[in-house]
Amino acid sequence: MKAEFINPFVGAAYDVIKKVAKVEATKGELALATSPIRGDEVNVVIGVTGDLTGQIIFCLSEATALSFASKMLMNLATDSLNELAKSAICEMGNMILGNAVTTLGERGYFCNLTPPALLIGKEVIVSTQILKFLVIPLETKEGRITINVALQENLE
Amino acid sequence: MYRIKVDQLTPGMVLAQDVLIPRTGVTLLPSSTTLTMDMIRRISHFDIEEVYITPPEKSDREKNEEILAPVMAETHEKSVAVVEKVITNFDNRDQSGYSQALLDGLVGDLLEQVKMDADLLLNLTHMKSYDNYLFSHAVNVSIISILIGEQLGYSKEELNLLGVAALLHDIGMLKTSVETWKKSGTLTPTELQEVRKHPEYGAQFLAGNMPEDVVAVAAQHHERYDGSGYPKGLKGSAINYKARIVALADVYEACISERLYRERLTPQEAIRLIVGDQNGFDPQLLKIFLLTMAVYPIGSFVQLNTGEVGRVIRVSKNQPFRPVLTLYYDRKGELLRQPVRLDLSADSNHLLYIKETLSAPEHKKVAQQVAEAFPNHI
Repeated sequence: MKAEFINPFVGAAYDVIKKVAKVEATKGELALATSPIRGDEVNVVIGVTGDLTGQIIFCLSEATALSFASKMLMNLATDSLNELAKSAICEMGNMILGNAVTTLGERGYFCNLTPPALLIGKEVIVSTQILKFLVIPLETKEGRITINVALQENLE
Repeated sequence: MYRIKVDQLTPGMVLAQDVLIPRTGVTLLPSSTTLTMDMIRRISHFDIEEVYITPPEKSDREKNEEILAPVMAETHEKSVAVVEKVITNFDNRDQSGYSQALLDGLVGDLLEQVKMDADLLLNLTHMKSYDNYLFSHAVNVSIISILIGEQLGYSKEELNLLGVAALLHDIGMLKTSVETWKKSGTLTPTELQEVRKHPEYGAQFLAGNMPEDVVAVAAQHHERYDGSGYPKGLKGSAINYKARIVALADVYEACISERLYRERLTPQEAIRLIVGDQNGFDPQLLKIFLLTMAVYPIGSFVQLNTGEVGRVIRVSKNQPFRPVLTLYYDRKGELLRQPVRLDLSADSNHLLYIKETLSAPEHKKVAQQVAEAFPNHI
C-alpha cells in the first residue's frame, strides 16, 4: 500500500477528531496485519470504490465512542450507546473519510464511499477480500481509535 | 436543457450532453448520467468550464412547497391578526365564547400545517414586524411549543390544548400599559414591576373561561425549574408541565426574534444562552429540545464539505447530524440562481457532511444577503 493513499486517511482522522471530539490525537506505531482482523467494541466499516477499492474500519472501545459522541452532541451526556450516539459515531467516520476522499481526489485518485455500517459487539471479527491491512492506532486522552486500512489500486 | 458552470453543479443533476475531456474528444461522462459528487470532482479536475444539464424534475415535495409557502405565509399573517383580535377582545367577557371558537379554529390550522411542514412554518417565524410583535410572538411560541409537544408524543387533543395555552400565554401583557410592552430599550424599575405582573393578570383574564392548563400556562410561564422565576417562585414539578414547555419555547423565540432594541440572536447563540441557564428549565424537556436543536439548530447556516452554504430547515429525530437544508451558495461561494433543497439523510448524499456552522457575524451577513436575493423564498 502506498503512503500516498494512506496519509490522507491519517491526516483526515487527526483533523476531524480534533474538531469534533476536541482532543489531540497522536499516531501510535503502524503495523501490518492479515485478514481477518479482530475489532473493538464499536466498529465503523466503510467501503471504498473507484480508483481505490477496499475497506476502512475504525475500531474503538465503547467508552471512547461514548465520550466522542457526547462531545459531538454538545456535551449532553449520552450514558449509553443509543441511536443518537451511534449516529454521532457514524457521522465521525463519514467526516473522516469524506475529508480523506477529497484529498485523494486532489492527488488524482477518484473514490466513492459506501454509507458507514456500525458493528457493535465484543468479539467482532472482520474478514476482507484484501488480505493485508495497515493498522494505524491513534491515541487520544479519551482512549484509542484504531484505523484499519485495506486498500488497493484499481489498475484498469 | 441549460448550460451551467461546473462549480454550480450539485449531486443529482442529470447531464443533457456527453461531457468530453478537452482536446481529446474522449467521453468522460455520457449524456443522461446522474451526477454524483465524485463525478463532479472528476469534471472539475479537467479544464471544463460549463456542462449541459437537463432541467430537474421538481420533486413532489418541492411542488408541494411551492403551493404551500404562500398559503402558510398567509396563515401566519392571519394567525397574527386573529390572535390580536382574540387577545385584545378578551377583556370583554361577553365575547369569550366567540374567542374560544376562533382560537380553536386557529390552533387547528396551525396543527394541521405543523404536521404538513413544520420547517416551512418555523421559517415563517423569521418574517418579522415588530409593531405587532406581541401577537407574532404568541403565534411563534405556539408553533415551537407544538413542535416540542410532538417530540413528547402528545395526542392531537393535548397538542391542541398546548397550542391554545401558548397562544394566550402573554395575554396579561394587555393589561399593562401599551407604552410598556411596545417600548424600545430597557424598562425602568417601575415599568419592570408592572410587566412582571402580566402572568397574574393573564390568569385572572382566563380563569373560568379556559381549561385549567391554559390558565396555568399564563400564570406560570415565567416560573423557573430551580425556583428562580416569578411571580411565585414555584419549583420543579410544582410548575404545570405545559407551562414548562411554553417557558422554553418563550425564551427560545424571544432570542431568535428581532426586537426594536436589539438584533436577533443566531439560533446557535440562543441555544448557548439556554444551555447557560439550564437550571431554569425542566432537564428532561431541555434534553429533548436540545437533542433536536442543539447540534445544528433550525435556522442556522452551515457550510458543507463541498463548500456549499445552506440553512437548516428541518431536523429529524435521532439524525441531528443529517438535517434537511436549503442551499443558497455554490461551492465557490456564489449565490445560486435558485435555492436548492438538500436532504442530508438521503442515502445518495452520504458523501456530503456539514463542516461547520457559520459564526455569528458570518450568519448575519449571509442571512441578509439571502433575504435580499430571495425575498419570496421562505
